[in-house]
Amino acid sequence: MAAIYTENLTKSFVRFFGGQPETNALKGLNLEVKEGETFGFLGPNGAGKTTTILLLLGLIRPSSGTARLFDQPVGDCRVHRRLGYLPESVNLHDYYTGRGLLEFYAALLGVPSQTRQARIDELLCLLRLEAAAAKSVSKYSKGMLQRLGFAQALLHDPDLLILDEPTASLDPVGRKEFRDILLELKRRGKTIFISSHILSELESVCDRVAILEQGELKRVGSLQELSTGKSTRLVLRQVPGAVLEALSRSPAEVTMLNGQVTVKCVDLAMRDMIDELLRQHGLQPEASAVETQSLENIFLASIGKPPKL
Amino acid sequence: MKLIFLIAGDSVRALLHHRLLIALMLVSLVMTIFFSMIMGRTRANISNQFAATEMETNSPVFQKMSADDRKKLDEAMEQGASMVQGFFYAASSFGGSLVALFIFSTAVSSEIRRGTIRLTLSKPVSRLQYLLGKYLGGVAVMAAYAVIASLAILLFSASSHVELSPIMKYAPWLMFCRQLMLGSLAMLLSLFMHPTIGCVIAFVAGNGLYSTSNPLYYLLPSYAPFNVFTQILQGSVLKGNDVVLLTLYAFDFIICMLLLAWWRFRTKEVC
Repeated sequence: MAAIYTENLTKSFVRFFGGQPETNALKGLNLEVKEGETFGFLGPNGAGKTTTILLLLGLIRPSSGTARLFDQPVGDCRVHRRLGYLPESVNLHDYYTGRGLLEFYAALLGVPSQTRQARIDELLCLLRLEAAAAKSVSKYSKGMLQRLGFAQALLHDPDLLILDEPTASLDPVGRKEFRDILLELKRRGKTIFISSHILSELESVCDRVAILEQGELKRVGSLQELSTGKSTRLVLRQVPGAVLEALSRSPAEVTMLNGQVTVKCVDLAMRDMIDELLRQHGLQPEASAVETQSLENIFLASIGKPPKL
Repeated sequence: MKLIFLIAGDSVRALLHHRLLIALMLVSLVMTIFFSMIMGRTRANISNQFAATEMETNSPVFQKMSADDRKKLDEAMEQGASMVQGFFYAASSFGGSLVALFIFSTAVSSEIRRGTIRLTLSKPVSRLQYLLGKYLGGVAVMAAYAVIASLAILLFSASSHVELSPIMKYAPWLMFCRQLMLGSLAMLLSLFMHPTIGCVIAFVAGNGLYSTSNPLYYLLPSYAPFNVFTQILQGSVLKGNDVVLLTLYAFDFIICMLLLAWWRFRTKEVC
């Protein structure tokens, strides 16, 4: 069973007067996140990531298409028992203390009163908020609010965590701790759907990522699938002059260093052509390697920006 | 049901931390007491002057008065007492209406504006439970306001030696019903428009614009029957049956408004 399933999910924000579509925030999103998977959701600002999350939570309604969580329609609030959510900008009720707020949410989530205090203590300790537990939320810093927001998402030990830019306000130490918690949750088989701009974070925790741009899904796959490029690098030694001349005339990128010739083929057709040329001259490459890309380069390439060198 | 009470409790907590609301409630109660004290003092001065004249002339005025004059004087004194109560009622009712409009129109809209609703609705809380919880929280605060206003008038009448008009025993309840009606309409309108505009429309819409002969009276709210200011001044008696009917009218109206509010809120986008 898929933890998250969307089919042709579309959202257009319509002007109140006139009824003309103003923005197509999401265009026919088809997505499936399996149970136990850690799924990264990437995209530049305005790509439709938060819109997708709001649709998954049933806070806004799709213009067309469907979304399901654990095979239940997203509008059914009962499925929220299995869901923990951390919004992008954590706006919490500031008239509570940190502990009081967690008690309120724990009661809403139906955390048994016998175990409630122990669970709250555990989370306050895990997120380094014990000292601030009795302080009013209005006095919390941004980072503390983010950690308190994360604590409320974990209160009922949910099966699915939906995290929208979870580390935006955290310092490097906080980010490291956050990553460790995610890895622990992943180890325990929880499904994590995480939208983030911090690609290095996703790289270290995600099984699969999806790249969204202007409401359209550009790419989706495992990091290995996405990072495996189509370009190959061949290393040749003792290359005769005629072959070298033929190679330099080919569209492949050829470099020479200390008698070693490196040929970079950007696609399979080019690779086939070079292989044929080498065969004709009885040559074998000494080494060949498929080039991999960083998540950042995959992301930049997907949204049409030049990759970083 | 537990979730509704949890939301209601949270709503009360939020309202008690709202400085503007607390200030509004306090000002309303203080102004009510202040104006009533002035009215009471004026009435006391008249009584004292009358007593002083009586002593100076050393000829009891009452002895010179005919039975009709005495009756008229008694009526005038009673009317004075009714005026005091009437103004007390009018001031506390008006203040309460402002408080109700503020509480109910911001109950949901302020949570949407601040974004706090996202976390609450991401919990296993249905929109109906949320809406009812918010309304119930407002009801609890308005009930507290009605109790404080009632206690204030009891204390005031005891300290000023003013005998309460018979209708005054129902006045706080009718005032409470009126405020809940006003609040339910304000809450509904706040889901369609800016809460301030909703408040103005809610306040104006049912303020005696319609008479019972107008068919709109049965469709649109009318707070007029709940305003007993004139009856207090006239010393009219309100029957228990009338109070029951008015209460049913109020509850009927509130249920209709809440159903409409739910119809709107269940599809409202909270982003």
